[in-house]
Amino acid sequence: MAGRVIVVTSGKGGVGKTTTVANIGTGLALRHKKVVMIDADIGLRNLDVVMGLENRIIYDLVDVAEKTCRSVHKALIKDKRLSNLFLLPAAQTRNKDAISPEQMVAIVDELKEEFDYILVDCPAGIERGFDNAVAAATEAIVVTTPEVSAVRDADRIIGLLQDKEIYDPVLILNRLRPDMVRKGDMMDVDDINDILAIKLLGIVPDDEEIIISTNKGEPAVLNNHSKAGEAFRNIVRRMEGEEVPFMSVNGEPGLFGRFLKLLNGK
Amino acid sequence: MFVPATQPVHVEQLVFKGLKQGLTLFVPEKESFVYWLEVLDRQLDQAKGFFQGGAILVELGERQLTPGELAGLKKILAKYRIRIKGFNPVQRKKLNPRPEKQLPASSGVLLIKGTVRNGQRLEHEGDIVVKGDLNPGGELVATGDIIVLGALRGIAHAGAGGNVKAEIIAFTLAPVQLRIAHIFSRAPEGRKGQHGPEIAYIKGEKIVVERL
Ligand SMILES: Nc1ncnc2c1ncn2[C@@H]1O[C@H](COP(=O)(O)OP(=O)(O)OP(=O)(O)O)[C@@H](O)[C@H]1O
Ligand SMILES: [Mg+2]
Repeated sequence: MAGRVIVVTSGKGGVGKTTTVANIGTGLALRHKKVVMIDADIGLRNLDVVMGLENRIIYDLVDVAEKTCRSVHKALIKDKRLSNLFLLPAAQTRNKDAISPEQMVAIVDELKEEFDYILVDCPAGIERGFDNAVAAATEAIVVTTPEVSAVRDADRIIGLLQDKEIYDPVLILNRLRPDMVRKGDMMDVDDINDILAIKLLGIVPDDEEIIISTNKGEPAVLNNHSKAGEAFRNIVRRMEGEEVPFMSVNGEPGLFGRFLKLLNGK
Repeated sequence: MFVPATQPVHVEQLVFKGLKQGLTLFVPEKESFVYWLEVLDRQLDQAKGFFQGGAILVELGERQLTPGELAGLKKILAKYRIRIKGFNPVQRKKLNPRPEKQLPASSGVLLIKGTVRNGQRLEHEGDIVVKGDLNPGGELVATGDIIVLGALRGIAHAGAGGNVKAEIIAFTLAPVQLRIAHIFSRAPEGRKGQHGPEIAYIKGEKIVVERL
């Protein structure tokens, strides 16, 4: 059976696409899925850094497209920790138009039979880079933060995904701050759902562990004490078809939170 | 039977008919819309030179388009410099045939299923009905009425072309901007919209909003 090809996209930059790909990819691999992550952000690659794989890059996506390397497998980098997780890095010294949507489709077609999941890290924006990243995907995850401008861009992206015949994207709300939501200073899940009206895949709290783990090159999903890590583990379970409940204001229910709730008799 | 070698015989074709309202493209209700778009593209390509520009009507029957599907149709027609001047010219048999009010005789109603999103703009000669929301950054332009069976938060222009009798109705009316015929109105800052349907129309030289 061919694997699922999922693009992670947002419109607005810096909202957490790369973080999401790294964590979901690692989380799925922890569940023994065979996963490849494709960095489609040519010229601004950083999925390799977030994964701690930067020093292993020999060939990249453009080399594969231009057939500089013999096969796509030559360019795949195996993860340090998980032997069933791979990265196809972006080229750093080229532009978005160094590859075409058709080439992207051809590359993904080659990988589809072999992998359970193909995750594509999309660049910000709605131009060529977006067209490339979306070309081969049949599913999409839209990432937004709880800010009006990010939500507007997410809405625009959902419309553009329709034009590419991806009709049921799912949403990750990233960097939610429960304290701010409670004070009414931040949009909450309902406000965002009101506008975007697509299925919610998960809520990831704002968590400094993400920054620490990014610097270490070790996705937070591997860290049992990170709240964001737990949120990504729940997201992965939902992707695999499990029903995992949401907590709207407090983000995902963490172990500690659950413990507190028990203590408080709720 | 003689079949020219280059002409595939098994391909389904779309039907164009000359109705009294104008040249009309009939899109069957079976198969996906995307399927017919491909057929249309191929067909127009083969008929290049025959269809040089101009405006057509599109008969969709009971089919409802998503904003994305409509955009796809327009994109293909634009390639051959064809414009849509209206939808559904054929008066349909009603399930519940009450001999009440007739639909506006003009070009019929364009029924849109789903949310009209940021960056999407729909124009139609006739009325537009959206079964969903009109989001901020989205735009509807109709020569007739605009009805949004959800929240209207974007820009709506009814009566485009000058019909001052046109109306805008929404279940939640919280627009960025309303326009009826030549009259503009900007929503007061922070207007959230009442709970329950409201109607906007021209009274005197102003757009007024009332509960429905
Ligand atoms: N849940 C979070 N909590 C704290 N910081 C976060 C969180 N998610 C992302 N960040 C931080 O936000 C920054 C941007 O994240 P990331 O690179 O994943 O975004 P992106 O959407 O891929 O950006 P670009 O559009 O530039 O590709 C990073 O510094 C990252 O560490
Ligand atoms: Mg990124």
